Amino acid sequence: MNSVFSKSSHPFRVWACVAVGWLITSSAALHAQVDRSKAPAAGPAPTIAIGDYHLEKLPNGLTLIVVENHRLPRVSWDLNLDLVPLKEGAKAGYVRFAGSLLGTGTETRTKAQIDESIDFIGGQLRTSSQGIFASSLTRHTDALLEVMSDVLLHPTFSEAELEKLRTQALSGLASNATDPGAISSNLRARVLFGEDHPYGEVETPQTLKAIVREDLVGYHHTYFRPNVAYLVVVGDITPQLAREKALRYFGAWQPAEVPVNFVPMIGMQRGNQVCFADLPGAVQSNIAIAHVVQLKPGEPDAIAVSVMNNILGGGGFSGRLMQNLRESKAFTYGARSSLSPDRTLGRFVASANVRNEVTDSAVVEFLAEIQRITREKVTSSELQTTIQYMTGSFARSLEDPETVAAFALNIERNKLPKDYYKTYLQKLAAVTVEDIQRVAASYLRPEALFITVVGNRQEVADGLARFAQNGRVQYFDALGRPISGLEPAPEGLTAQSVVERHYEATGGIAKWRKVTGLHRSGKVEMGVPMQLQIAEWTLYGKGTRTEITFEGQVMMEEVITPTAGSTTAQGMKRATSAEDLADKQESLDPLFHLTAIANGKSYDLKGIDKQGERPMYVVEVREAGSAEGTLPESTLYFDVATGELTRTTAVRVGPTGPLQSEESYASYQTFGGMRFPTLVTTVANSQALTITYDHLEVNPKLDASRVTLQSQKP
Amino acid sequence: MYHPLFRAGWLCLGMFGAAFAPAMGQARKIPFESFDLKNGLHVILHEDHSTPIVAVTVMYHVGSKDEDPNRTGMAHFFEHLLFEGSEHIARGEFDSYVEGAGGVLNANTTQDRTFYYEVLPSNQLELGLWLESERMLHARVEGIGIETQREVVKEEKRQRYDNQPYGQLLPKTMEAVYREHPYRWTPIGSLEHLNAASYEEFMDFYKRFYVPNNAVLSIAGDIDIKAAKKLIEKYFRDIPKGPEVRRTNVREPRRQGEYRDTVWGKDALPMVIQAYPIPAQGTNDFYAVEMLNQVLSGGESSRLNRRVVDEAQLALFCGAFSFGLEHPGVTLAYALASMGVEPHEVEKAMNEEVDRLKREPISAQELQKLQNQIESQFVQSNSSMAGIAESLANYHMYFGNADLINTEIERYMAVTPADIQRAANTYYDPSQRVTLYFLQTQQSQPQ
Repeated sequence: MNSVFSKSSHPFRVWACVAVGWLITSSAALHAQVDRSKAPAAGPAPTIAIGDYHLEKLPNGLTLIVVENHRLPRVSWDLNLDLVPLKEGAKAGYVRFAGSLLGTGTETRTKAQIDESIDFIGGQLRTSSQGIFASSLTRHTDALLEVMSDVLLHPTFSEAELEKLRTQALSGLASNATDPGAISSNLRARVLFGEDHPYGEVETPQTLKAIVREDLVGYHHTYFRPNVAYLVVVGDITPQLAREKALRYFGAWQPAEVPVNFVPMIGMQRGNQVCFADLPGAVQSNIAIAHVVQLKPGEPDAIAVSVMNNILGGGGFSGRLMQNLRESKAFTYGARSSLSPDRTLGRFVASANVRNEVTDSAVVEFLAEIQRITREKVTSSELQTTIQYMTGSFARSLEDPETVAAFALNIERNKLPKDYYKTYLQKLAAVTVEDIQRVAASYLRPEALFITVVGNRQEVADGLARFAQNGRVQYFDALGRPISGLEPAPEGLTAQSVVERHYEATGGIAKWRKVTGLHRSGKVEMGVPMQLQIAEWTLYGKGTRTEITFEGQVMMEEVITPTAGSTTAQGMKRATSAEDLADKQESLDPLFHLTAIANGKSYDLKGIDKQGERPMYVVEVREAGSAEGTLPESTLYFDVATGELTRTTAVRVGPTGPLQSEESYASYQTFGGMRFPTLVTTVANSQALTITYDHLEVNPKLDASRVTLQSQKP
Repeated sequence: MYHPLFRAGWLCLGMFGAAFAPAMGQARKIPFESFDLKNGLHVILHEDHSTPIVAVTVMYHVGSKDEDPNRTGMAHFFEHLLFEGSEHIARGEFDSYVEGAGGVLNANTTQDRTFYYEVLPSNQLELGLWLESERMLHARVEGIGIETQREVVKEEKRQRYDNQPYGQLLPKTMEAVYREHPYRWTPIGSLEHLNAASYEEFMDFYKRFYVPNNAVLSIAGDIDIKAAKKLIEKYFRDIPKGPEVRRTNVREPRRQGEYRDTVWGKDALPMVIQAYPIPAQGTNDFYAVEMLNQVLSGGESSRLNRRVVDEAQLALFCGAFSFGLEHPGVTLAYALASMGVEPHEVEKAMNEEVDRLKREPISAQELQKLQNQIESQFVQSNSSMAGIAESLANYHMYFGNADLINTEIERYMAVTPADIQRAANTYYDPSQRVTLYFLQTQQSQPQ
């Protein structure tokens, strides 16, 4: 009855009867033609055909894209705005609000009427800050577009609907406070992009409360314009009919100049950082290891980068992260990575949810996999498997006609060659092992990762400090705002008393007041094979001179006085900028911090940092009258046990974004009854400089002219 | 209108029930052929050449309701184990064969069935058949795989339930609704039970349920039916028929009055759940309840949305949906209260809307809206080959009639306003209700 079986069995009938005794032990072998031991060969590869699309510009500047597909009697209308991301600042959330409220009332329809009209035809209408999506069965097209057009052209943004949305959004924030995924996304946005970048903005109760109706009206008026919009029509409709409908329903939409927003660059960070948000009671850690990536969609490397990411952690179950963290170590239900190109700024994210006990072990594996792919070539079989997988994904995606529309939109928005997707599979097949190694090395930054973790602080946070270059875990709240992570200082202790203790512990305030000056010298190391020497002469209140010499030759000299400063290097003399001067004048006062407090600067004792080997009091310094929550201009760390000042950090906003600098002070020794650090390390701009002082003299004999500025010759 | 991130979390909750969301077929008729192999394997084939892909799927009629009450989670755990390999497929190779051929693979388990699928380029049909036949004939279950997947499944449970906002919602609800029937535990089951299960138990489970006479092989896509049949014979014909599968016939007794309880947790906003027992999927009344829920929560203009969320602003979201299950299931009305709103206020508003449906039949206009919505869903469903293969298998497994993929819509359209009113009175019955509040633990409240 089965032709395959009867044909092949006939010549062997006798043999088969004899052999039936041992054949029966393996049911699979009963039919000799079924070879189960290896995977069957594939048939001839099918042709993958990409459907066509129709594109035209309408008189008001609206770009119409139509993908005709009559398989099902339905049509979707997707209006997309092509905008540069907008910084919302203190009103973060208003752009989203504008999008949501768009669908909640027009000059002639209430929200209830809009909802009823759409539901009655079994249609869909979704509005957002980036456009409007609507779909229905073909026969309801006019009823659908009638509402869509009204919502687009005549929204009212009523105060009542705004208040309703605000209340819901505030409730939404409350309900997200226990969602590890939502918290992780907030945290990542903030640490990766920073508060000056649109992608770094996170809605908070404060920003939501600041939104007023005019913000929404203004956004709609400014950005909802046909000349920056694509209308993507997919389904049971011809391009001609789609054009007629577009003209009829969107033809009256007026074009206008749309501002192109400025998006700031982000300074590249160096050194891995650990950023932690506490979710008390959590039984898993949500780990996301991320950095920003400069890669735009369709750039020449984009396909190779995508293959590389697929090998590392993309796709299904074969990725290295999945195989390692799930199938080999059983740390997680799933570990994946994504590398998303973006016209503004892309990002790389590798993530998994793992049980508390293995949080640090999982980070070790993530880091190892990220490093491995940047350092070692992938195997050619891994590469081929991945290319096959991606080829298959591409083919599968074509099952949905919306894919062709998405391709068209990408081509237009990103100015890609018209055949970008038609030649995609060829480009994919051409990716080599060498390409993978090159793009891994140039796009992944295993030494500049933000290791973000949302989890049970009590159980897992301490184990993560070792992954941070600075050896510290930084703490954030559920909305990604930094929090101290400190333990409270004893009741009654103030910043002033901590500062006073410091001066008492290093000689005594009364004695410091009598010190007239200081001379010290030592050697400088800054990662270059040059033995530099440093010497400083200071007369407190009058001036200070620093000289850096190489083999007796002065390379740089600097003089700072209470009124001015100058630096001379390679024969060029330059006046010190006002901002630098204020910083450097610190060394003219041996009791600088007490003076600053007396002068009204704000010193705040934040608590005790117990992360390091020795507990430290943490004191933040701000301009007098600065608002709570603003970035401190510097932070001071005082050893709880010895009173020594061990570290200061400062943040300066430079042209490329915030720059962090850090000085640490160690190996305090006694000279003339006073205690001074003899090992001072400065890290700024990712460069480190270490000074080891071997000579120190208190109250030296000094001529004041050595430390003051000579009048400049004309 | 609620925050998209939260919405994602909520949808996850729905996942375990979504496996048999009302799949309505579509306006375009879906032709198929079906037949049984001698070993009892039921085969369904749908040919469609629009995209050069093929979905190869096997549905086993085993779910969490078939489990020993002391080994809950077994069916789902077993689903994980069956990716570990076979006599001819080494550990990890299931993934690499499929993905290396350009395909995707996965599986899922509900209370009633376990579903495996590969979607492959259509020239790899034979690969899919080989893999699935290996899984059915002689899967290899070994110590290392068991130990690894035990931990992986525990992580799945933590990720989906323990560490998710309101993650305890479904387990706690099912536990309260069912006291006798095995639907009282959810497919993820108990970690302790999985720890206790022995190798022999796993093998018994395999021999009992993973047999061709308890499975449907459903294939949809760019195939030639004649050639496909030959390949199916080649790979599946020799798999021995298994013993007949005996199933639980526990009947859940009616309760003697409403059951109310509070579940304390860390999530900030109060969640209100009302659960009512309903008839099994496929019964006339099941469709009436489906339409009733559509009145309550189908779209922004639906009654719960309009009244509780939009007008009274008592909740961030509010709705109702049914778990269609093979045995009598459950319908849930739910609401996430807005900040500062007491759960009983929300509950009262929900009840008022339901009571109105008990008193007054819906209007002709509202019925028309429901029917338009159902028609639209029906047209838009089953647009992917994987979805079609799954629906065909479902319809055969539960109702012995795969053609429901084309005709089930008639069952919905036959529901009248009087049916809906009767369903409201019969099934939204306060005396049979389970009401749960999920509240945030306060210092003064029990931990």
